[in-house]
Amino acid sequence: MRIKVSPEIICAPATPEGYSALAVIRVSGKGSFDLIERIMSLKTGRLRGTRRKLGIISENGEVIDEVIAFSWPAGRSYTGEEMVEITCHGVPEIVRRIMDVLLRHGAEKADKGEFTRRAFMSGKLNAIQIMALASIWNEGRETGNISGRFNRECEEFIVLIEKAKELLEGDIEFGESHLDSERTVIIKELSSLLKASEILVQRAGSIEAGQKVFLMGPFNSGKSTLFNILTGGKALVSDIPGTTRDGTRRNIEIRGRKIILCDTAGTGGKGLDLQASKAVLDEILEFDKVVWLSQDGKEKPPEELSRKSPEILEVASKCDLNPDSKQTFGDHSEIRKLSSVTGEGIPLIEEWISTSPGNMSLAGAVDRIVKHILKAEEFVIGDEFGIASEHLNEAEREIRSVLGKGENLTLSVERALSSMCVGK
Amino acid sequence: MNISDNIFDVIVVGGGHAGIEAVLAAERMGCSVMLITAKYSRIGEMSCNPAIGGIAKGTLVREIDSLDGSMGKAADATRLHFRMLNRRKGPAVWGPRVQSDAAAYSLFQRKNLAKKGICIIQDEVTALEGHTEKPEGIRCRKNGVIYGRTVVLAVGTFLRGRLFRGQSKWRGGRIGDIAADNLEEDIRRRLFHVERFKTGTPARIVRASVDTSDLSIQESEKIDFRFSLDRSDLPIKHEICYLAKTNRNTMMAAKEYLHLSPLLAGRIDGIGPRYCPSYEDKVVKFPEREQHNIYVEPMGHRSRMFYLNGLSSSLPEEAQEKMVRTLPGFKKAVIADYGYAVEYSFIHYTEITDALRLRRTENVFVAGQMCGTSGYEEAAAQGLLAGANAARVVKGVQQLTPSRSNSYLGVMIDDIVSKGTDEPYRLFSSRAENRLYIRQDNADRRLYEFGRSLGVLSERKLLQLEVNINEAAEIEKILKKSIIDGCKAVLWCRRPGAEAERLVELIPMLSSFSRDTIFSVILDEKYSGYIKRSMKRDESRRRASSVNLSNITSYMEINEICWEAREMLEKAKPHTLADAEKIPGIRPTDLEGLLLYLAGKRSTWNSSI
Ligand SMILES: Cc1cc2nc3c(=O)[nH]c(=O)nc-3n(C[C@H](O)[C@H](O)[C@H](O)COP(=O)(O)OP(=O)(O)OC[C@H]3O[C@@H](n4cnc5c(N)ncnc54)[C@H](O)[C@@H]3O)c2cc1C
Repeated sequence: MRIKVSPEIICAPATPEGYSALAVIRVSGKGSFDLIERIMSLKTGRLRGTRRKLGIISENGEVIDEVIAFSWPAGRSYTGEEMVEITCHGVPEIVRRIMDVLLRHGAEKADKGEFTRRAFMSGKLNAIQIMALASIWNEGRETGNISGRFNRECEEFIVLIEKAKELLEGDIEFGESHLDSERTVIIKELSSLLKASEILVQRAGSIEAGQKVFLMGPFNSGKSTLFNILTGGKALVSDIPGTTRDGTRRNIEIRGRKIILCDTAGTGGKGLDLQASKAVLDEILEFDKVVWLSQDGKEKPPEELSRKSPEILEVASKCDLNPDSKQTFGDHSEIRKLSSVTGEGIPLIEEWISTSPGNMSLAGAVDRIVKHILKAEEFVIGDEFGIASEHLNEAEREIRSVLGKGENLTLSVERALSSMCVGK
Repeated sequence: MNISDNIFDVIVVGGGHAGIEAVLAAERMGCSVMLITAKYSRIGEMSCNPAIGGIAKGTLVREIDSLDGSMGKAADATRLHFRMLNRRKGPAVWGPRVQSDAAAYSLFQRKNLAKKGICIIQDEVTALEGHTEKPEGIRCRKNGVIYGRTVVLAVGTFLRGRLFRGQSKWRGGRIGDIAADNLEEDIRRRLFHVERFKTGTPARIVRASVDTSDLSIQESEKIDFRFSLDRSDLPIKHEICYLAKTNRNTMMAAKEYLHLSPLLAGRIDGIGPRYCPSYEDKVVKFPEREQHNIYVEPMGHRSRMFYLNGLSSSLPEEAQEKMVRTLPGFKKAVIADYGYAVEYSFIHYTEITDALRLRRTENVFVAGQMCGTSGYEEAAAQGLLAGANAARVVKGVQQLTPSRSNSYLGVMIDDIVSKGTDEPYRLFSSRAENRLYIRQDNADRRLYEFGRSLGVLSERKLLQLEVNINEAAEIEKILKKSIIDGCKAVLWCRRPGAEAERLVELIPMLSSFSRDTIFSVILDEKYSGYIKRSMKRDESRRRASSVNLSNITSYMEINEICWEAREMLEKAKPHTLADAEKIPGIRPTDLEGLLLYLAGKRSTWNSSI
């Protein structure tokens, strides 16, 4: 008679989205062995124990991929439950189709951090370990703030959600004492909430999909060389100042993250060059990133740029030309050194570019917020105020987790869990 | 027999809604019990509104009934008018509410106590007897010392009660009653922390003096609802309630006398409930709003009086008269009893355990309004828990408290003993995190296990509950197997307006089951997705709060938290995060800092990942 939290089988990709050599999908929960044996057409019992099996996953007779399944019995796995990791080829389409097959066979898509949650439930990890794990995984992410305007917009949005909640809850508790129906008022409030969410959708979309990384700096500071290294392509490079006047941009993927890399005209020019660099300044948004190059780190980014507060990485370029620069800037941790000739500093720059803030799937969170508000509206109209309220609460929870703020401390572990990528 | 020769297992002080449930619960558990109350004739009196139930409160009454309490039965037996509040806002937030015949209600409870053979003494209790750690009983004004193994105090609004109307102020816990000044003094002398609250009540109007043809009518809903699983016969008498609206003149009348309000003139320091303000409060707070709804409710079937729900006031008599007469139909209204305010002491939450025991004693329990709550239902539910736990002390077994994840009783107890309250606490449905699960239709199934382990259920109630539980399980089984319109029947349940009769038509196999239980199972299915999620959250919340802090040797060096918090934590040395959260003054950010600090120490266990 009591409602149980059913221990269903969960699954999720454990590797980041994007193209890679291999990808891993994790499956956990009682019955996982049977399930995987079924979809890989293995004999029953093949995965029982700590095993490794090669097989094929297909869909309506069409082969999706050849995969390897690693299995662990309950008690010996990360989650403490029966668990299988499917290693397939790292193509997003393949991962998606395998996930579809799993879902169709009764597995559920894991919530964020659910694997860890299960490890926690089965006593494999304690709460502190989870908090710490979360902070390891999030290192460099939470610090990479989605600062400024977006933050403010989220805060304002929370105020709006709270206002709607107040109206709704007031009507549930006291609706009878002021007979005039508040329903229309509530619906109106929810519509304006929806309207307000549009801006979040936009912002999140551009933060995530269109995050741009600008390479900037004075003329001839090595921007285009760096651009070429990062894109592996061939932008026009020469030693004549002002070669890349129009700016060149390329959609690239660095370490599994999609970005738009923009080469820009050098600063400090006149006429057309000046116009071009002004245009770039106008284009930069606060959640974009700027790699500021100057030879030996001699020149600082202009104040106009800092005022816009994008994330800026200062790079001392062409350090191979001046071996002494090592001493000169050696202890200046803010400035990274780069040599396009020796390759020094390239990995560091790549890493900086590929982290924060898009990793937390903002667009996903905002999308869920919008859905919850729509649902709330639907259920107010459909005479289910209790459900409507659940959806508003979810929306609030979601946006607070975007901001990394909790309304209630005991939810901290919960938040830590949800800040992890799915599949951890 | 001389009562002072006897030692009672459980002595209950106060025959209000809390005291009644306390004494009955202890009696059901086989204890020898005694009820002492100031006035026999006012046992089970509705000091204010003649109504039982409402949003969340109605659900609580069903929980009381599932724990074999008496409130639901009394409310069913004396009801004059019934409404399911929030009828159009979804079954998750429905609130059954009845208007009761106040006099009949009190009579029902007196008869009920007599039927159970409960020993009742009419006297005023002036003190606890003996050491605070373990009192031996109580001291009364007339009967001297009465010995008891445990004591339940349920003295409502009486602790140094002071009544106010306009410029006058007099002693009393309620109009026409004593004020428990001595008892309050004794409680203070024993250094229990008490504070002051206030509340108020509106005027009662002579029914014949009101022209009801000017008022809109609120009919009783004619449905077969009962709070109690006993399903005894409902009274055939019905009453009509009315709705009146205040207007500009009502407001002007109140304004004219505002300076004579005991509250606004600063003569009452106690804090009153925001959700149930006096009319003059409303005038001050919403000056732009002239119209407020006033429900005109008969006090009883034979009663010659109307209760004016929404027009609570402690202004002088003259002002009350003027105000009342501005209402349509009330031009010639005669006031029988004027409204007034009461200010009283209550016990601070830090003194009370989650079993409702006074923390510093082994055997004294408290319940009802004196714990800082307000409302009959809240009082009754606490009384039941306090009485049962007193009986458990007598039996030498562990005291119990329900969890906040599956009952309003649990939510309320947790709220009042861990957070405290800065105004008289009233239950709201939004206080429950699991609102879609904690509903009025499934109280029997939710409370069964707790009631059984508490030991408070009679054979008869046990049987009633088990029948329902088995029935629900059967229905669920059939439902899980059935198909409707080519779809799983459980999915049909999620459709708006899914109800029992319709389901029986579609699945005739269900026709032998109770419609109430069928509906309850439909709702389980309807809300199951949401319930599952909130249970999950609940679980992780519980896990989070069990984070062990006992390894922290000193808080003073933890830079992640602020100075004040470090000092408080150092002093309290909490064992778990949940304990830390309960320390007054500790803010969520401090706790987060604490977690951060702990997470930062990962090197000590890194190898174990
Ligand atoms: C004027 C007034 C206005 C109210 N307004 C509201 C309102 O707006 N909203 C709301 O929710 N609730 C209101 N109430 C509160 C409601 O009446 C209580 O919440 C409810 O009755 C509490 O139940 P109880 O059992 O705790 O105490 P009570 O019902 O007050 O019962 C206390 C009992 O203890 C007895 N007693 C007290 N002291 C002693 C003693 N020393 N010795 C022996 N017996 C003693 C009394 O005789 C009485 O029988 C109001 C009460 C009053 C008096």
